[in-house]
Amino acid sequence: MSLLPPLPVAGPLAVAGLLLALGHALPRRTPDVVALLAALAAGGVCVVMATQAAAHPIVYWFGGWAPRQGFPIGIGFVVGQAGAAFAAFIALLFAATIVFAWGYFDEVHAHFHVLMLLFMAGMIGFCLTHDLFNMFVWFEVQSIAGFALTGYQLRSSALEGALNFTVTNTIGAYLILAGIGLIYARVGVLDFSALQAGVARSPHDVVIDVSFALLSTGFLIKAAQVPFQFWLADAHAVAPSPVSVIFSGAMVALGIFGVTRLFWAVYAPAPEIQAVVRTLFLGMGTASAVVGGLMAISQRHLKRLLAFSTISHIGLLLIGFSLESREGLAGLFVYLAGHGLVKGAMFMVAGVLLAELASIDEIGLRGLGGQVWPAGVAMGLGGLLLAGMPLGLMGAGTDLLDAAAKAAGEEWVPFVVVFAAACTGGAVLRATGRIFLGLGPVAGEEKRAPTEDEQEKADRPLWVMLLPIVALLAIAIIGGGSGAAWASRMAVPFMQPDNQGVLGLAPFAAAPSSAPLHAPGTRLAWLSVALALGIAGFNLSRQLLPVGLPEIVDAMLKPVFAVVQKLHSGLIGDYIAWVAVGLAMFTIAFAWSG
Amino acid sequence: MNWLPWAVAAWLLGIGLYGVVTSRNYVHLIGCLSVVQAATYVLLLGVGYRWNAVAPIFYDHPPGTPSVDPVVQALVLTDVVIGATVTALLLAMALQLHKNRETLDPQQLRPLRE
Repeated sequence: MSLLPPLPVAGPLAVAGLLLALGHALPRRTPDVVALLAALAAGGVCVVMATQAAAHPIVYWFGGWAPRQGFPIGIGFVVGQAGAAFAAFIALLFAATIVFAWGYFDEVHAHFHVLMLLFMAGMIGFCLTHDLFNMFVWFEVQSIAGFALTGYQLRSSALEGALNFTVTNTIGAYLILAGIGLIYARVGVLDFSALQAGVARSPHDVVIDVSFALLSTGFLIKAAQVPFQFWLADAHAVAPSPVSVIFSGAMVALGIFGVTRLFWAVYAPAPEIQAVVRTLFLGMGTASAVVGGLMAISQRHLKRLLAFSTISHIGLLLIGFSLESREGLAGLFVYLAGHGLVKGAMFMVAGVLLAELASIDEIGLRGLGGQVWPAGVAMGLGGLLLAGMPLGLMGAGTDLLDAAAKAAGEEWVPFVVVFAAACTGGAVLRATGRIFLGLGPVAGEEKRAPTEDEQEKADRPLWVMLLPIVALLAIAIIGGGSGAAWASRMAVPFMQPDNQGVLGLAPFAAAPSSAPLHAPGTRLAWLSVALALGIAGFNLSRQLLPVGLPEIVDAMLKPVFAVVQKLHSGLIGDYIAWVAVGLAMFTIAFAWSG
Repeated sequence: MNWLPWAVAAWLLGIGLYGVVTSRNYVHLIGCLSVVQAATYVLLLGVGYRWNAVAPIFYDHPPGTPSVDPVVQALVLTDVVIGATVTALLLAMALQLHKNRETLDPQQLRPLRE
């Protein structure tokens, strides 16, 4: 039995405990170094496991409680390629973030590093576990670390955002727990393989359907999908920038990974659940892509802009999942990694602006970006990647998603992808042009800056902050080809887990052979880049356009924006009412699918 | 009688969510959140309960004596710990917010808009 699986979880947890105990006695930079090494070590172990799991998954039963006669009596980690790869991606993002935040948080013992390591350990445990309740525990470990990190600076705006974030996500967690109780009541086990066998035995079972609805509602709240998306912008905009990097890059994607894993590992045999994923999730993903894109365009607070762009791109991931095909899943994996890297880098750029220029307001910062111009280059490049430029991981993911949609007969999906990419990329490019090139003057708007004074500590050299930005963007660009090849191999065992092997009922079957997927790029990618440049250009050159044209366009679009903005009220009560609406949507979808 | 715990759990979930939606004070809202959580306690204990069975401690019972399901009891214990952590964290944040803003009404405390 391999001893590797518990290491990337137990290691960071142990280091976090030591840092907490010794933090006050350590020299100034030691917690940074220790946390960075812990993240890199965890990532290294995950990479090793990802290569070892190519033949068949690595199985580890805690305390040696292996299944007896095929009945699981303990809790196991079953590490497949996809889980290990996602865990390695998470560790990479944490390592980059710890470098970015070098010395940023050193005033209070090592609390920031302790929370970050807890956050990472929870996420990695979530990816590797093979037990439904254990999955919930890791989910809560990382959630609570995230709640505490959001309100870390104890400013009013941060605390308000953190309260909304905590209440919404905690209700999601209780719904997950209720779902776990229901499926346990029906099947009597918590191990994924045994659960899947139980689901296969009882098709069209209402209790199992309700448990799926509750579990996926909880995970989609974390993934911030319409109609559960409201908390995200409140939390992302006010969290410290290094924390926002993790939120957008990894935490939100974790919700999608959770629901995807749960579906393929447990619920896939139920035909009515397949139908609900195919219809309801496709609709939710599309709505998220559109709403997120529209909201992103109408922001001037840069971190809120990026937060809404995250909702939009995660919506594309949900679309990829809902297509229930190998192409869709591979596209989801590649796009998830690409988006996480690019969006992480963009939040780091926002952090550079907060540290060096002491503001995050696009209009207030107009033309002031010159002294940190390398950040502007990174932001422009990131904007183009978000806009769907056929390059690197995001480009490869888009191609796979488009191919999957065509194969599934949903010819309109590529246009949703174009819309989301154009809106979010256009918004980022507009902000880049305004901040770094001084384009697009807006008379009289500076005074309406939306936030309190939000400077972040600026006691680290610029190059320390730029280094992780460059690294993340470089991986996002050069990883495209190999990322797509890996993802198409990982997708097959992810969709057809070897339950007999895991439960010891039979030796592991040989890994199913899987040819790399062929997904030819389409011309649509350039269409979305052109649209994004058009959106940015229109906004930045209003004073050059014929008199009246900008006003007419504004008048036409105003009702649309007004409705979406009005929904994002900032009231926790409204957000929870929307959760109830989402649950009702599940009920309707199940009634519809029989 | 079998449906009673399910009905109680559903009622607690509904009334707790209603409280969260309509609350005008964050301390009250956090209390409502605990009501939502109580729904999960009732549900889990209801799932594991067996009539005419003993507690799952076999110190003074021969092995094989019918007992209630120990797995759900472990789940509820974990759930209690999580609930306590979240409640403590939320109350701490509410306290800090009250220090800064002197109110705990969600209507007046709206996070960043626009």
